[in-house]
Amino acid sequence: MAEGSRNEMDARRFAALAQAYGGDLRRWPEAERMAGTAFAASGAGKAILRQAGTLDALLDSYRVDAPDKVLHSSILQAAGRHLGQRRRQWFWWLGLGLAGIGLAGAVAGLALVTIVTPEVQPDHYVLDANVTAFGDAGPDAENGEENL
Amino acid sequence: MAADPDEELVRRVGAGEPAAVQTLVARKLPRILALAVRMLGDAAEAEDVAQETFVRIWRHAASWRRGNARFDSWIHRVTLNLCYDRLRRRREWVTGDLPDVVDPAALPDAPRQEDALRVERALQAIAPRQREAIVLVYYQEMSNIEAAATLQISVDALESLLARGRRSLQAILTGDGADE
Repeated sequence: MAEGSRNEMDARRFAALAQAYGGDLRRWPEAERMAGTAFAASGAGKAILRQAGTLDALLDSYRVDAPDKVLHSSILQAAGRHLGQRRRQWFWWLGLGLAGIGLAGAVAGLALVTIVTPEVQPDHYVLDANVTAFGDAGPDAENGEENL
Repeated sequence: MAADPDEELVRRVGAGEPAAVQTLVARKLPRILALAVRMLGDAAEAEDVAQETFVRIWRHAASWRRGNARFDSWIHRVTLNLCYDRLRRRREWVTGDLPDVVDPAALPDAPRQEDALRVERALQAIAPRQREAIVLVYYQEMSNIEAAATLQISVDALESLLARGRRSLQAILTGDGADE
């Protein structure tokens, strides 16, 4: 009884797999292929596969033509355009990046020079001893004194 | 997780190697085109979808990372999404009183064998999700795990779609709803 029940379950599963994947066991789930092959040798298994094979044969008749050369070429041309464009974009961004790095280096260098170098008075300030806060008051200052 | 057989090739495509680009097109174009033809039932539209799919590949190749899906599953998902966009557009144009079955007279190809034409029409007549499942497992030869990952469903749900799809096809093609 238990043996018969297990066979019945196997038959049910076998039929379910044939219904889903057809009569060619190469399409069946890998894990169930071996058990399926064993059951396929039985009378019930052969009948189930024969039935599924009818639809398989019809499905096999529907073949699709291979792609023609025109389609093949146009896809390759599109690849050249797209991948070339990507490469150009990549080089553009690389150039921009390098320019940015160069600019940042120049700014950093300038800042460093400004900070590190001691402030030196220009010669003309040193030589012009008469210059004071009020020394270059100019004609307005004189006019102001007169008005007082 | 098993190694992705396309990963190295995609990396080389991303680096702009012309030989890798040619290899990828030779390897994937027949699969993508076959998927689109069977989903749409229209060779011209399928070619447009194949071209759009490759444009997405070129755009993403340099930044593509495997994540949870193989590259092949990813391009199948992209192709299916593009097919769905076109199927939706068709529904917007077609009035509700027309049948879902594609008129074979509208198909552009040369005369085919009768069975092939019947299967093509039957595939167009079943629910798109069932068609997706059957096309991925039956024609694209994906494993159940790959197909389920591509459709973003469980393996059980995939089996249910496959079984319902095959029953529908059986009913249309042979007038018999049972498959066992």
